[in-house]
Amino acid sequence: MTGYLVAIATLVGIRALLALGLNVQWGFTGLVNLGVVAFFGVGAYTAGLLAVAGVALPAAWAAAIVASALAGALLATVALRLREDYLAIVTLGFGEVLRLFLLNEAWLTRGANGITGIPRPLRSWFPAHYDLFYLGLVLGCVALIYLALERLRRSPFGRALRAIREDETVATVAGKNIVRFKVQAFVIGAAVAGLAGILFGHYLAYIEPNMFVPQETLFVWLALILGGSGNNRGAILGAVVLLGLLEGSRFAKDVIPFLTGVRLAAAQQMLVGLLLVVLMIKRPEGLLPERAP
Amino acid sequence: MSAQYLFNGIVTGGILALPAVAFSLLWKLLRFPNFAVSAYLTVGAFAALTANRGLGWPLASAWLGALAVTALVAWLVDRVTFRPMRARRPFSLAIASIGVTFVLENVIRFVWGNDFRAYDVPVTRAMTWAGLRIGREQLDILGVAVALMLLAQIFLTRTRLGIAMRATADNPPLATVKGVPTERVIGLATLGGGALAGGAGVFLGLDTSIDPLLGAGLIISVFAAAILGGIGSAPGALAGALIVGIVEEVGTLVIPPTYKSAIGFFIILVVLLVRPTGLAGART
Repeated sequence: MTGYLVAIATLVGIRALLALGLNVQWGFTGLVNLGVVAFFGVGAYTAGLLAVAGVALPAAWAAAIVASALAGALLATVALRLREDYLAIVTLGFGEVLRLFLLNEAWLTRGANGITGIPRPLRSWFPAHYDLFYLGLVLGCVALIYLALERLRRSPFGRALRAIREDETVATVAGKNIVRFKVQAFVIGAAVAGLAGILFGHYLAYIEPNMFVPQETLFVWLALILGGSGNNRGAILGAVVLLGLLEGSRFAKDVIPFLTGVRLAAAQQMLVGLLLVVLMIKRPEGLLPERAP
Repeated sequence: MSAQYLFNGIVTGGILALPAVAFSLLWKLLRFPNFAVSAYLTVGAFAALTANRGLGWPLASAWLGALAVTALVAWLVDRVTFRPMRARRPFSLAIASIGVTFVLENVIRFVWGNDFRAYDVPVTRAMTWAGLRIGREQLDILGVAVALMLLAQIFLTRTRLGIAMRATADNPPLATVKGVPTERVIGLATLGGGALAGGAGVFLGLDTSIDPLLGAGLIISVFAAAILGGIGSAPGALAGALIVGIVEEVGTLVIPPTYKSAIGFFIILVVLLVRPTGLAGART
């Protein structure tokens, strides 16, 4: 039971990081990223492949964060030149294309077999309670990113992002380079998603392309909207509540007889989609509404 | 040999054109990219499957039934989800449309499961003409797609409501002041867009196979066609769809077929880099 709780808490921490990253993009700046899972995947795969090839972990992790940030910079620069809604489409497409790439370029990504034996950091230091140590590592990262993003939110940079979100014309008149601020915000969010991917891959020690499917992006969106977009604490709270919801609904299988595996998964995604729609209509500010810094 | 790919590309383009026109016009009219068009394709395919396999209707009547069902589903979604959000930031509506997509797709998965299915249609021999293998279904699809595109174009340029629709898309406050009933126009556009997408879903199911991810597999190509054509332009979306369809089919001569659905993504990137307003060059 303790093992189960520790595992759940670790996954909540990783999803909280994803929600925090999306919060910089959507919550602070109003940018729609429908490819959250792709930046998560870039981080996980870059770190995993380099680590398995024998690269020292700190170097592999740095490379993974750079790769996620770079992917974000490229996509945002191309998509944001004319109008913002292209970003939604381009990021959605990137998620699909990345999965095709991971599945088909087996020489690099090992295809559908996935990467096995991703080393677990400092494994030999903690022979007994390694999972607890890893939970600590994940929660430490969440705390660190939370503090950094809180600073960012209160900084002049964060104020500029909010100004752009609320009224681009006013922000332009105030002399802000809109596109540059947006690209920067997008890159920060992509890098945080990359970090979440690193932690995910090294935790499971195994990754494969079908872990990075579009519904993961939907889950992160629901976590953020549910918790409260624009609010970093909301992003974390949303990840906790969402996982409670998903884990809780798993037990429905034992109670309702005709619920097969496929049907359970379908019902879960239906519920998540429905909740997202209802929240967007009825309570877009979420559980913890954004507060002025 | 390569003429065969060209022909297949034109058929794919004909299928793509229907949701591309719907997606492009709805985007211009409602000011957000409606991702639920992806689910409307799947709803259409499964509505026809139910009529065809469940009720034993011939596919032609099942296709008409699918048009009606999908139009109704699209209208209901608009009424329940998008209408209460009209005044909000367009991106909020785009997010809600993603939620809608997951709901519809998973209702279908819950009922039918993940299996691949096919319509019950009589098997016909493909014709051979000038070295081309032409399936009977391919001709039907192409003919109906052309007819529907013509109808849409006539509606948009020659009827009062069609002109009102374009006026609302261009300048909503002005159209309202001039007495255009905005909500009625949006309702009608949604019905029409849903019908086009649903009809295309049946074609796609006939051309390939039917599963809950049918629409999701096509949606990047639909976006590519709409962006290539220029958002808000029906003839642009049609031209864009033909180009995307042909490039996707002919492209399989050069790149592995597994990357077929990536072609749309790269077309989007190229258009955004080279000519972000699209072929029609409409102001956005």
